[in-house]
Amino acid sequence: MSNQNELSRRDLIAKTAVAGAAMAVPSFVFAGSQAQIKVGLIGCGGRGTGAAQDNIEADSSTVLWAMGDVFPDRLNGSRDGLKKLGDRYKVTDDRAFSGWDAYKKVIASGVDVVILTTPPAFRPIHLKAAIEAGKHVFMEKPVATDAPGIRSVMESSDIAASKKLSIVAGTQRRHDFAYRGAMERIHNGDIGDVVALYAYWNQGGLWMNPRQEGWSDMEWQLRNWLYFAWLSGDHITEQHVHNLDVCNWAMKGHPVKATSLGGRQVRTDKAYGHIFDHFATEYEYANGVKMLSMCRQIDGTASRVSEHIVGSKGTSNAQSIKAAKAWRFEGDRTNPYVQEHKHLIASIKEGKPINEGRQVAESTLTAIMGRMSAYTGQEVSWEQALNSTESLLPATLGFTSLETPAVAIPGKTPLK
Amino acid sequence: MFTVSVALATMLLAPQSAAPFEEKIPGTLASFKMQPIPALPGGKPFYISTTEVTWDVFDIWAFRLDQSVEDQAKGVDAVSRPSKPYGAPDKGFGHKGYAALGMTYLGAQTFCQWLSKKTGKKYRLPTEAEWEYAARAGATSEPELDQVAWYWDNAEDKAWAVGTKKPNAWGLFDTLGNMAEWAVDKDGKPVTCGGHYLSKKGQIGFTARAYQIPKWNENDPQNPKSRWWLSNAPYVGIRLVCDLP
Repeated sequence: MSNQNELSRRDLIAKTAVAGAAMAVPSFVFAGSQAQIKVGLIGCGGRGTGAAQDNIEADSSTVLWAMGDVFPDRLNGSRDGLKKLGDRYKVTDDRAFSGWDAYKKVIASGVDVVILTTPPAFRPIHLKAAIEAGKHVFMEKPVATDAPGIRSVMESSDIAASKKLSIVAGTQRRHDFAYRGAMERIHNGDIGDVVALYAYWNQGGLWMNPRQEGWSDMEWQLRNWLYFAWLSGDHITEQHVHNLDVCNWAMKGHPVKATSLGGRQVRTDKAYGHIFDHFATEYEYANGVKMLSMCRQIDGTASRVSEHIVGSKGTSNAQSIKAAKAWRFEGDRTNPYVQEHKHLIASIKEGKPINEGRQVAESTLTAIMGRMSAYTGQEVSWEQALNSTESLLPATLGFTSLETPAVAIPGKTPLK
Repeated sequence: MFTVSVALATMLLAPQSAAPFEEKIPGTLASFKMQPIPALPGGKPFYISTTEVTWDVFDIWAFRLDQSVEDQAKGVDAVSRPSKPYGAPDKGFGHKGYAALGMTYLGAQTFCQWLSKKTGKKYRLPTEAEWEYAARAGATSEPELDQVAWYWDNAEDKAWAVGTKKPNAWGLFDTLGNMAEWAVDKDGKPVTCGGHYLSKKGQIGFTARAYQIPKWNENDPQNPKSRWWLSNAPYVGIRLVCDLP
């Protein structure tokens, strides 16, 4: 684990340097329980709308203050759905924004917290703007789709730390008491030394919106963001990041390299963009421990969504412990999608910021490293992944024509 | 709750005129067995499936396995098929030969409509009275649970393959335990019957009932929550009824 200790020391030095530069920024503390915390929602799809509701449910002091989405229909649908929040719903017409700059308007609307739930391609941009403006953040996973995005998120997270702003990520297993209980015991050595890890997200396909007449390429891609790597990172990033994050959590660090294979074998219609439908990846951590990861989105195939951690003295599914000191969670397992907002709001009220920015950026990059390896057919190191200059974002963002990228071909697609 | 007298039950156990049949889903290898059940007093005889509906059958509807890739891509029939679940709908318990689980009442009903169209027969969910009558199969006392049911004491917190415990007198498996099964109560409301693999003694039996509560889809991260899938009720399943012509 010495490498990982070195890494954290480097991180600490970097954070301290930024903190020194920003010492003048006053800390942001809510005094008393009466203060109202104004929340802005950026990205009004099903998950964003759900996250807003989870936030309201989490703490009686929050109100939904402003909302934004690139699409007016998504904005309005979400507003209709959230009106049931009653007097906690404070979104007036002049604080409901659509269009490409809607996020800027939400951030400038007087909110204290923003919920970032657009497709992940935009997360680095939105996080940067939110942190620059001094807002606390809840952001959904994954937090970027390429290395430049990851580096931006890491930088914003460090600035957030210096400004004493909280960032909570939508890797909700980190807020699930069964996972937390198991992980505490793994870290205590109850299963001995971790010697191998297995991570799975195998399932059928996901939703797809058939292309409508009049949609530009950009609109079609945005409304089917899962199927374009620039928007989602491919499903190894979009979905499997949860399981990879659990393994990184157990290992208290990220893998140092990945060898992955994958392809687009069944879900080949152009309606599904250009992403793969399966990946299998071997990750290796700094101490030589390996993680086997697989993820698949193919209908009619066996499903499995889980993590399995093998120790020298026992095993864990990351929610319970099978060992001499066995453990399983008992009691009311609160909804982790609400609990993550409870932790966020409590951290704001108490002035004790939580910052999950780097942690989720590392887990997202773990996934991206796997994708890079699968797309190219090459072994990819953490440094290669982190320092990659390949930006997947289109040069300009607007409702214009936008070609579907070619499907990656291992052995031919270059590693950039 | 519906009870039958011992005399009536004995009479009903007499040889039945209708024969069991196996329903094969056209164009697939999937099938399930239907058992004739004598008429309830004042009612008509009906068929009921010997097992809970398994993924082998449910997948065809839920995941559009009967559609061409082109039709899937075009979104054909999108309104009467479930949204794709984000995650493993079988929760990792097992798939082939395991009961389909976690569907909403709307999902259960819509599946029956699809199956009826597909087979040309009228499939539906049982009424609560039909369910209990078929589950009892004339029994006047509760059975030895470990013999017939997957429940708290023996299920290890998971669902099991259907038909691996003893059937009741009419050849029906897993009426108690494994999945709590969707039915329609006397007021026309959806209710689940029989208890499931997490039910403890006392919560499982012919008269065990559970109505949907918010906890059943609490962890659905989307808003609106899915109309088709219950994120936190991986113990709700379907047993089919088919009306005799």
